Amino acid sequence: MSTAARASRLPVRPISARTRRQRMLGLLFLLPWIIGFLAFQLLPILFTVFLSFTNYSGSREFAFENFDFVGIENYQRLTQDPDVLPSMLVTLKFALIGIPLGLVVPLGLAVLVNSKRLIGSNVFRTLFYLPTVIPAVAGTIIFGGVLNAQSGWLNLALKAIGIADPPRWFTDPTWAGFALNLLAIWGVGNGMIILLASLQGVPTEIYEAAVVDGANAARRFFSITVPMISPVIFYNLTIGLITAFQFFVPALLIAGVNGDPQKSLLFFPMHFYRTAFPLSQLGYGSVLALVIFVATMAATAVLFFFGQRMVYYASGETS
Amino acid sequence: MKTRLNALLGSVVVASFILAACGPAATPAPAATSAPAATVAPTEPAAQAATDTPAAAAPDAPTAVPSPTIPPPILTGGDGCDPAATKITWFIGLGAGSNADVVPLEKAWVDKFNKSQKEACLIMNVVYNTGSNSYDALRALIAGGNAPDIVGPVGKAGRASFQGAWADVSPLAKAAGVDLSKYDPKLLEFTKDEDVLVGLPFALFPSFIYYNKKLFDEAKLPYPPQKVGELYNGKPWDLANFQELAMKLTVDKDGNDATSANFDPKNITQFGFFEQWTDARGIGAFFDGGIPFDAASKTAVIPDSYKAAWKWYYDGVWKYRFMPNADYQNSDQFNKGNLFASGNVAMSWVHTWYTCCFDNSKISWDIAIMPSVNGKVTAKLHGDTFAILKDSKKQDIAFKVLSQMVVSNELAVMYGGMPAVAADRPAFFAEKDKAAAPNKINWSVAEAMLTYPDLPNHEAWLPNLAKANNLLGAFRTSMDQTANLNLDEAIAKLKSDLDAAYKEAK
Repeated sequence: MSTAARASRLPVRPISARTRRQRMLGLLFLLPWIIGFLAFQLLPILFTVFLSFTNYSGSREFAFENFDFVGIENYQRLTQDPDVLPSMLVTLKFALIGIPLGLVVPLGLAVLVNSKRLIGSNVFRTLFYLPTVIPAVAGTIIFGGVLNAQSGWLNLALKAIGIADPPRWFTDPTWAGFALNLLAIWGVGNGMIILLASLQGVPTEIYEAAVVDGANAARRFFSITVPMISPVIFYNLTIGLITAFQFFVPALLIAGVNGDPQKSLLFFPMHFYRTAFPLSQLGYGSVLALVIFVATMAATAVLFFFGQRMVYYASGETS
Repeated sequence: MKTRLNALLGSVVVASFILAACGPAATPAPAATSAPAATVAPTEPAAQAATDTPAAAAPDAPTAVPSPTIPPPILTGGDGCDPAATKITWFIGLGAGSNADVVPLEKAWVDKFNKSQKEACLIMNVVYNTGSNSYDALRALIAGGNAPDIVGPVGKAGRASFQGAWADVSPLAKAAGVDLSKYDPKLLEFTKDEDVLVGLPFALFPSFIYYNKKLFDEAKLPYPPQKVGELYNGKPWDLANFQELAMKLTVDKDGNDATSANFDPKNITQFGFFEQWTDARGIGAFFDGGIPFDAASKTAVIPDSYKAAWKWYYDGVWKYRFMPNADYQNSDQFNKGNLFASGNVAMSWVHTWYTCCFDNSKISWDIAIMPSVNGKVTAKLHGDTFAILKDSKKQDIAFKVLSQMVVSNELAVMYGGMPAVAADRPAFFAEKDKAAAPNKINWSVAEAMLTYPDLPNHEAWLPNLAKANNLLGAFRTSMDQTANLNLDEAIAKLKSDLDAAYKEAK
């Protein structure tokens, strides 16, 4: 007899009035979140789906008679829109460079500031984390100045060391994407702190045993450290993927709604934004929003399917 | 007992959360003006309100997040009106007029007006414009059958967003006995949208050359002409000589000017000229007025004058180097886009409103006339007026109010526009002179340039305006950013993209 069948035959104990009250109380405390979720997340998502079947323009009054239903016309338009594929590629290219950078750089910094040989490690921890507390908009504007081809200090430094023709970071399509990848490194402080906490949780006995066995530093890092902190690396990877697929604000501030130069910074979320708001095509814009939603979900699902197999859980819980 | 107390406390906390979440926002908007929000930014600074366009139409602009401190809409109640007076609603928000410092002055003017006569009771509806919210508010009012009677001050770009919504004031003027012949025919032409006179000339913003006297003195070059037809250094003030002057005023870090063989284009410290804060149509207007749309065929037609102006501009940036590319424009040295204010640009082509945006008393400056191109002088023009909506049910009374508004020197000064009525201008320029002191500005240049407007105007309506403006903005950005642009191909692509945008319009 299966466990489930046995369980189904067990007598059901009546719930006491106190337990019921406690459950009700718990639900009551959850109510604000439930209301918030329904009103500000689920409802907008459902409304986006609804809008995607209309040609509603943001410049018309928000009234039912202005929602003209166009069936799947907006979805058909997706296949003819010349900016869809290039903007997807811009996002993908950014993700392919940005996600590994977003893992390696904070990991390297975490290892560095975790080192016992580093003098003043708390100072470095603070310094590396500090950019994270600066608002993204302010940070981006500062970065725009730093990477200005004429007066930015990066190019001034490059000229000082003899590079006569340094990159035109944000005006040359060859460099613009990479420059934004550089900008994204600005915010690795969060990842660094999480990885640092994880590094400090690795039992020192394991390292001591490895040293006794003759393992060198590299071997200890790849055979002990990385597996032991792999759940946190996987977490950072997942967050990095979602962030890369939704990368928007810095690109908009630097490149404007058209993703200049020459659309090399027209990320897919920017294409959505430009369509839905500046151009007021909320119907088709909703389709683009749903594409972002589905693509992010699909990529995260794929990541979980393949990536989590490589994650080591000390408790023995593996997927 | 304890459990009940917990339950009670829990309920109170939850209820407070819900009430807090559902409570009114800090700056609630009345239903009449609430509209779907959109996030946009003006191309030009807020002070340049006269020519504000909805963000949707703004080219290559950084996007501003709506501020939580946006002033709430204001609706006055018509205090002091005669009980029998007809209520006339005045919508303010598409251009100058909704700034916090101006609203009390407008209110005072309205109060005075309401007490001065018994026929009309003027009611203000002010919606502060950030991005496109005031445009959305007006759309909502029109769509809801509550169209205001008078809208303004509003420029051509603002009116273009409501193309077809404006009443023809010619018959209203005739009925009210207003003599239109007192206005310069060119200004009347400028106040027409698609051949319909939508208002009376009121506050004008002609364009001209702002020049930095200090940089001319350093280069030992005479100042540019201040009268049409005047020679410059014994030569005609035409495009070729203007370009030569601009090149002489463009200097690299070693002090070589752009006419020198040793000139280093990668290390320019001073530019001779810049066409500041305008889009591709504005650049096109340097050569002549035009419109990239053929109303008969409803297709995109790029005027030859535009093509030539764009080529001249592009070569000026990338070949002759007397105008800055995007890297220089956004650099610290050139004040991140507000170039003339940096003190490192010798000449800049902007409108009267630009006095808002640099320290008038610190820079040694004056203004000069536009050079002629192919024998013709063109000075692109911005202008604000008050217009009456077609949906207004009281157009005749509204026109009587409007005709008082356009002759009010108080309102003209309030909005910073040059009065269309010549007699009112000395007072206006006296105010400007105070701000510019110790500089003594030759304002006759501004008056002279008023007679050379770009017709058709560079802010005229186009089908699918938001998209068309977006394409034109992107085109200018591409000229500013791209060193080896095939301009003919880029223009052909722009034409085809505009065509597609026009076809999308319904």
